[in-house]
Amino acid sequence: MRILIGLISWFALTAAGYQEVPYLQDRVHAGELPPIAERLPEAPAVETFVEKEFGPGQYGGTLDILMAKAKDVRQMVVYGYARLVGYDRKLELHPDILARYDEKEGRIFTLHLRPGHRWSDGAPFTTEAFRYWWEDMANNDDLSPSGPPIQMLVDGKPPVVEYLNDYTIRYTWDAPNPAFLPALAGARPMHIYAPSHYLKRFHERYQDPEKLAAMVEESRRRNWASLHNRYDNMYKNDNPDLPLLQPWVNTTEAPAQRFAFKRNPFYHRVDQEGRQLPYINEVIMSLAASQLIPAKAGSGESDLQARYLKFANISFLKQNEELYNFRTLLWRTGKGSHFTLYPNLNHEDPVWREVLRDARFRRALSLAVNRHEINQVIFYGFALEAGNTVLPESPLYKAERDLRWTDFDLPYANRLLDEMGLEWGGDGVRRLPDGRPLEIIIETGGESTEETDVLQLIQRTWLKAGIKLYVKPLQRDVLRNRVFAGQTQMAIWSGLENGLATSLMSPKELAPTTQQQLQWPQWGQYRETKGQAGEPIDMEKPQRLYELYHQWRDARNREERERIWVEMLDIWTNQVYTIGLVAGVLQPVVASGRLQNLPEEGFYNWDPGAHFGVYRPDRFWLK
Amino acid sequence: MLIYCARRIMVMIPTLVAISILVFIIIQLPPGDYLTTYIAELQAQGEQVAQGKIEFLRKQYGLDKPYWEQYLLWFGGMLTGDFGYSFEYDLPVSEVVGDRLYLTFLLSFSTILFTWAVAFPIGIYSATHQYSWGDHGLTFLGFLGLATPNFLLALVLLYIGKVYFGTSIGGLMDPKYLQEPMSWGKFLSILEHLWVPVIVIGTSGTAAMIRRLRANLLDELQKQYVVTARAKGLPRIKVLTKYPLRMALNPFIADIGNLLPQVVSGAAIVSLVLSLPTTGPMLVEALRSQDMYLAGSFLMFLAVLTVAGVLLSDLALAALDPRIRLGAGSEH
Repeated sequence: MRILIGLISWFALTAAGYQEVPYLQDRVHAGELPPIAERLPEAPAVETFVEKEFGPGQYGGTLDILMAKAKDVRQMVVYGYARLVGYDRKLELHPDILARYDEKEGRIFTLHLRPGHRWSDGAPFTTEAFRYWWEDMANNDDLSPSGPPIQMLVDGKPPVVEYLNDYTIRYTWDAPNPAFLPALAGARPMHIYAPSHYLKRFHERYQDPEKLAAMVEESRRRNWASLHNRYDNMYKNDNPDLPLLQPWVNTTEAPAQRFAFKRNPFYHRVDQEGRQLPYINEVIMSLAASQLIPAKAGSGESDLQARYLKFANISFLKQNEELYNFRTLLWRTGKGSHFTLYPNLNHEDPVWREVLRDARFRRALSLAVNRHEINQVIFYGFALEAGNTVLPESPLYKAERDLRWTDFDLPYANRLLDEMGLEWGGDGVRRLPDGRPLEIIIETGGESTEETDVLQLIQRTWLKAGIKLYVKPLQRDVLRNRVFAGQTQMAIWSGLENGLATSLMSPKELAPTTQQQLQWPQWGQYRETKGQAGEPIDMEKPQRLYELYHQWRDARNREERERIWVEMLDIWTNQVYTIGLVAGVLQPVVASGRLQNLPEEGFYNWDPGAHFGVYRPDRFWLK
Repeated sequence: MLIYCARRIMVMIPTLVAISILVFIIIQLPPGDYLTTYIAELQAQGEQVAQGKIEFLRKQYGLDKPYWEQYLLWFGGMLTGDFGYSFEYDLPVSEVVGDRLYLTFLLSFSTILFTWAVAFPIGIYSATHQYSWGDHGLTFLGFLGLATPNFLLALVLLYIGKVYFGTSIGGLMDPKYLQEPMSWGKFLSILEHLWVPVIVIGTSGTAAMIRRLRANLLDELQKQYVVTARAKGLPRIKVLTKYPLRMALNPFIADIGNLLPQVVSGAAIVSLVLSLPTTGPMLVEALRSQDMYLAGSFLMFLAVLTVAGVLLSDLALAALDPRIRLGAGSEH
């Protein structure tokens, strides 16, 4: 249906012709830019506004935003969200820069570019860009000493790449590569193309050696690769000369306090009336200290702000809304859980390890947490009282499964602990099997006082189950190293990175796959290093999770992937490997009263979501 | 005089070498290096970094070499005017500091002028009217300034500026003038923003300055030559300015050694709170992210200024006060 609408509007457009962008009119008249019809691809991507609350806007204006560091210029690549394929609001993948793509058996991907599509400097965007990246960057020993990105490898093997013509390219792997498309759609996308016409001047293979040596010398770099790296990063966005495909391109060289992003005259999207997007001509990013950003946003100095705003700022922001004409929207965050306890199944003490590995113990701990109280006291009742799993917005969510073991039920918790044979001591604290008191030290990264507040509330209810809780704030790196070494009993951190998962996204967070998983760091490290470090998985259920994850990678269709996801979530939530406390904490989003086409309710997530990216800021406009 | 200067400069060299070693050690003391900080930051946002890429970066930045080699590379570079490379900005250190320096100078000199303009009259008044209501009242005000936490005062003044005068919060100029060449409008905008940091940083210095001037002046005013001058009928102002005030100024000149580095580092915490485009926040940020060459070169620059400042103030003192003789102690 979508395609049909797209086709109809496309025919309507070619008949009607495109309208010149007023902002660029002077440059077109002066002959600096070709007219609109020549700047757009032959078949541009047409925005049809499927959401009924949105509609075509008007040109003009400047969007002011605030950031804390010069490095944050990369956020404009995140917000711009021009991707080969991108997520929509329902987290379905659609071609965007690509005209279309074909996927066969999950392992053969044919990408079709838009003929006539151009880089922001006007040079044609063809398969040469893909060839340059694959042959001269990803597979160049100097530029990529560790080889191509892992998403391009299946079992360590690269794809066969065929350049069928200027606009068609095919990647063929031996086995399915489910990581490929999500990597292209990421908030930090895998850029599998690069502006070769610009970058060749820095490349050993194309530049005269003497000239290159002089350039390296002049920039005081170690070698040509480091010079190339300095100028080739399309995500970092720190080189104003680097051509891009994003709706706005950086025009300011760092170091600076204010960065101006101007519209890309060759952007590939138009609205249904034939006007080239974006509607907003310029985005001005000013830098300010991160602690000052809430105050500045709350006094109308930002037209669109979420980064560096926190839950605690909401009342201040709300208060100033009318005075400075802005709205404070409250969006759900997309992490699986805001705070989660991680019992360390690889703890070095054998007695503790046995206790922590007992599912009954973890369930009892979860049942002895009064999530409602935490929500009311710390989050004013705005958070979700749930475990660390997918969020209700995810198509995989099922309340009866994902809310298991999250009620506040002290009698049940005590029954489970009694069943385990953890005897009460005289002081109201239970005893471990070897007679030591059951005292759990929860270590924090010391990032916020919220963590300690939450833990103090838990302390009271856990004591009623005979468990004594101590809090020990540490420095982030120290905490991680202690967890990895098995010295930490339990850590508190945020939960699953992706609480909005669909079955097409990797379930690797549910299985032991990396050392960063604080509940089983050793197992994760073992898998990550292919058995060189860490310990092999020696528990049945986590082993099963790992096998399921592998099955998911090899799955050839959606149904199979969905079945695997469901089974993994079932094990994950029933075994309570991590004890989620609250989820979906609200993220304040400050939007100018003039800003249109931004939803009142949304989710704020890094990947998938790219923060504002899925809402397509190129459609935003100022009244 | 020349021999004295030469000897002092010779002593400066080992001092600076010792400082450079200390600076380098202290920067390396926290666990990890720039890359671990950088990776932690990426992970906090949900980005993943491949292990191979980290090793590659570590090599590229030269962080895989032993510490002594990194140190020699840095120190050797500085001797030839190469201050190293800032990881955070991906630019040579000398380019990063750039135009922040002149705004820092502007801010610091305005602050010093403000402090002197306030402290001088009050100090003189307090000394000449010791234990009067005026003395107590003004001293109280000075102490109030000293006792108020700087950052709190800064936030209050920012709020007042925004609500009553519509001045944009933080920074040293309206955002629209950033990256613009100097103009009348830009200059006015800087003045409009300058008063908050000047008052905030100035107030804390004023009290100390008032007390010092008052104490020194009181000492002098009790001396016999003042009594004699008065007895001979010299006008009060002349008695005050001819000798006692000049003597009381010695500590100010001796202070130049401390002043010089302050002019450059410029009240880092206040600048951070106010988000000023000065060098202070840059130094703090560099230390936080373990951007070691930027931080190191910066600290070395401050050390050089301190050492040079002390020498300058010694020379100035000798020139201004005939009672002080250079190198008197070492000749016996």
